[in-house]
Amino acid sequence: MTTCSREKEVKELLARGHWPQACAPELRAHVSACRVCGDLVLVTEAFQQARADAASAARLGSAGALWWRAQLRRRNEAVERIGKPILGAQIFALVINLLLAVGFLGLQARHGLNWLGWLEQLQQAPTLHLEAVWHSALFSSGWSLMVLIPALATLALLGGAVVYLASERQ
Amino acid sequence: MPWESVLPIVVAGQAPRAAESPMDSDAFAGFYERSARPLWAYLARVSGDPALADDLMQESYVRFLCASRPSPLAAEGEVAARRYLFRIGTNLLRDHWRHPRTTSIEEIPEDCFAASGNSAQADSQAVLGPAMAQLRPRDRQLLWLAHAEGYSHREIAEVTGLASASIRLLLFRARRKIARLLREQDARSGRTL
Repeated sequence: MTTCSREKEVKELLARGHWPQACAPELRAHVSACRVCGDLVLVTEAFQQARADAASAARLGSAGALWWRAQLRRRNEAVERIGKPILGAQIFALVINLLLAVGFLGLQARHGLNWLGWLEQLQQAPTLHLEAVWHSALFSSGWSLMVLIPALATLALLGGAVVYLASERQ
Repeated sequence: MPWESVLPIVVAGQAPRAAESPMDSDAFAGFYERSARPLWAYLARVSGDPALADDLMQESYVRFLCASRPSPLAAEGEVAARRYLFRIGTNLLRDHWRHPRTTSIEEIPEDCFAASGNSAQADSQAVLGPAMAQLRPRDRQLLWLAHAEGYSHREIAEVTGLASASIRLLLFRARRKIARLLREQDARSGRTL
């Protein structure tokens, strides 16, 4: 890489707009003879001219529109940031719900689905009285039905909440 | 009840003080007025695509307003803010070159097809355009920042993300190449520089 000791001086003159009128004839002679300074002058003049021309051709939009667009994006980003923990909570609720469902099904399978016998009794009964149904549910079919009913109700409640939150998110 | 209603402050844009805009709209309008033309010129001449420059310029300002906390304009003054803006524009250009996006002809504004600008602009484009087109994008950026914007090597390094030590050599090579191209072009057209 070749350098010239006068490069800095020429650069400053170009930056101030003093080239070529406000510089010594000796420097002009140097620039016409020096390859490094010649390149610097040629390129800088071309770029400065291009900058001035391009800047005058720019079609500027409204600053206000950009300002509000930025505000809108910031707002959306803030909502997104706040939504992240809520999404996490939804996923957590879904996982807990699924675990409960699987656990409950496992428990029922282990106890041989005793409560199905209670359903058969109910079908064979000549009349359907609520009090009798409740009594037989509690005492005739063992504890499994007492677990089944609250568990189903909890699952339905949690499932509803998860579906609601998921649809709300969308 | 939508959950947004639980968070009315954020949704309604009445964000707490920490998230408030660091720059008011009047200050931004002034800054935009002073900096938009040079930024557009940089994006248009380096990309060679005025329609792309329009898009990237808007995106640069939106990112500038969104990302800056505290605002470089308030913290370090207008020169630093302008440099920061050029840095955003440079990154957007780089992203565009990495993943070029096709634009349908319907999306291009009508005035892009019209004869653009005055004769001086057409002249400077005719002189510099073909030479710029033969350079690598990085060289075009370096040359524009150094010779059109007058940035120092350290400032160019800050804008482009290149190592400050390598700027000098890269710039020297790019300048030598474009000077040769300009001279050849001039010799073909029979003008003297």
